[in-house]
Amino acid sequence: MKKLAIGLYAAVTVALMVWGYYQAIYVAPNDAMQGEIFRIIYYHVPSASVAFLFFAISLIGSIGYLGFRRNHAGWAQVSDAWALAGAEVGVVFCTVVLTTGPLWGRRAWGIWWTWDARLTTTLVLWLIYVSYLLLRRFAAGPQMQTLAAVLGIFGALDVPIVYMSNRWWRTQHPAPVFGGSEGSGMAASMVGPFLWNMLAWFAWGVMILGIRYAVERQQQKIAAREAQAALDEGSLI
Amino acid sequence: MDQAAILDHQFRVAAYAITWAIQLGYVAWLGLKWRAQKRNAARAPRG
Amino acid sequence: MMPRALWTHLVKDLRIELRTLDALVSMLFFSLLVVVLFSIAFDPRGVFSQQIAGGVLCVATMFASVSALNQAWAREIRHQVLDAQRMAPAPGAELFLAKVIANFLFVTVVQIILAPCFLIFYNLHIVGQAWLLALVLPLGTWALVGNGIFFAALSIRSRNRELLLSLILFPIFIPALLAMVQATTAILTGESDPTLWIKLLLGYDIIFTTVSLLLFDVVFHAE
Repeated sequence: MKKLAIGLYAAVTVALMVWGYYQAIYVAPNDAMQGEIFRIIYYHVPSASVAFLFFAISLIGSIGYLGFRRNHAGWAQVSDAWALAGAEVGVVFCTVVLTTGPLWGRRAWGIWWTWDARLTTTLVLWLIYVSYLLLRRFAAGPQMQTLAAVLGIFGALDVPIVYMSNRWWRTQHPAPVFGGSEGSGMAASMVGPFLWNMLAWFAWGVMILGIRYAVERQQQKIAAREAQAALDEGSLI
Repeated sequence: MDQAAILDHQFRVAAYAITWAIQLGYVAWLGLKWRAQKRNAARAPRG
Repeated sequence: MMPRALWTHLVKDLRIELRTLDALVSMLFFSLLVVVLFSIAFDPRGVFSQQIAGGVLCVATMFASVSALNQAWAREIRHQVLDAQRMAPAPGAELFLAKVIANFLFVTVVQIILAPCFLIFYNLHIVGQAWLLALVLPLGTWALVGNGIFFAALSIRSRNRELLLSLILFPIFIPALLAMVQATTAILTGESDPTLWIKLLLGYDIIFTTVSLLLFDVVFHAE
């Protein structure tokens, strides 16, 4: 039954993706000023939204792990799996944002990059969560989850500070603004395709997140079984 | 189609292509991980 | 005054360092090298030198601090001193704070010795209020050392301990670096008001020091 539901969800997601593509390329009109390059928005902005949401999920997972690890070991493991899944899939989507953005910017505004608040914050966010993933890879032993959870909290704390500091930097030294001011009007005819792609990318993101979470839970169970086996072997001596 | 429009098109296609390369590459990596886990689980003694 | 355990830890670390001056000497020399290398890479001439001196000073401080931070816990790792510390009834937060203060003093000493070299190499004349530098540099150094000691503790048991420290410290340090450089440049060139940046640094220090103190015991006793 569960397999059927998952399969159905996957099929719907793929269908949404195809529909979104059709909407983005064939239904949405060319942008008056930017022409075809504007269509990158249908992949770029949804990816950014998903990335930020998943980083938030990772933060909640980190907090959950620290809160539950003493009294509810099971919930703590679940939280940690969400923390990792959120961070990793978030990095994937953030990578998409950081690669599609410059391609858009180069054609639309003539520059690959600019150090404004949004771009710099996105880049630093990416750096922080990559460093989080590296800590998880390099730190050894059972305390790795605790250390990762702590770093997750530190990293999340830093993000608003990065944004604000960059905003102030840019009020002092005005620089080219990527993508115009926030929400610089989208034509009504583009809103439909945009929302379809938002839905499609969220559905895709949730699917990938779920897979990553399941893989991590599986990994946790394997690790626990190996630890138990090692313990059992030790007790036979 | 003038030169600018051609370049616009190429960049747009590149952006979409890179997006899918990243997404599908990650899914593929997850698939490999899942398969390795299944093999691991099958090999290990139960309990 | 200072809590007892904090004072004991602090005096111990300072005394050990003063015996050999290992960390201080290597930090000093490394910072000097960084300054020279940057000068060769970004030829500082005239007005340009005023603009980049702030950045070079801050980056030199960063590299110097990292070389100190990399072996900040080295003594505790050897001979199972860390385990002994864990068993002691004193709160871990005091050990943490003592280490931060000690390393803060080391880096500040390096900065004080390095400052004349800077003035000379870059032909600096401070246009803004020079005394503000005595506020900016310590705040920035505290941000670096505070987070650095914390993350060094995070990476104690990892394979690439030293590399990992830099990898997790630098991204989180970015806003403090920006504030420190902007404030320093504002003071040196007198072109803008550093107050906003100083407030940002202060806020950064307060937030992260508080969180570090709250979470250090979690990290220290993680098993």
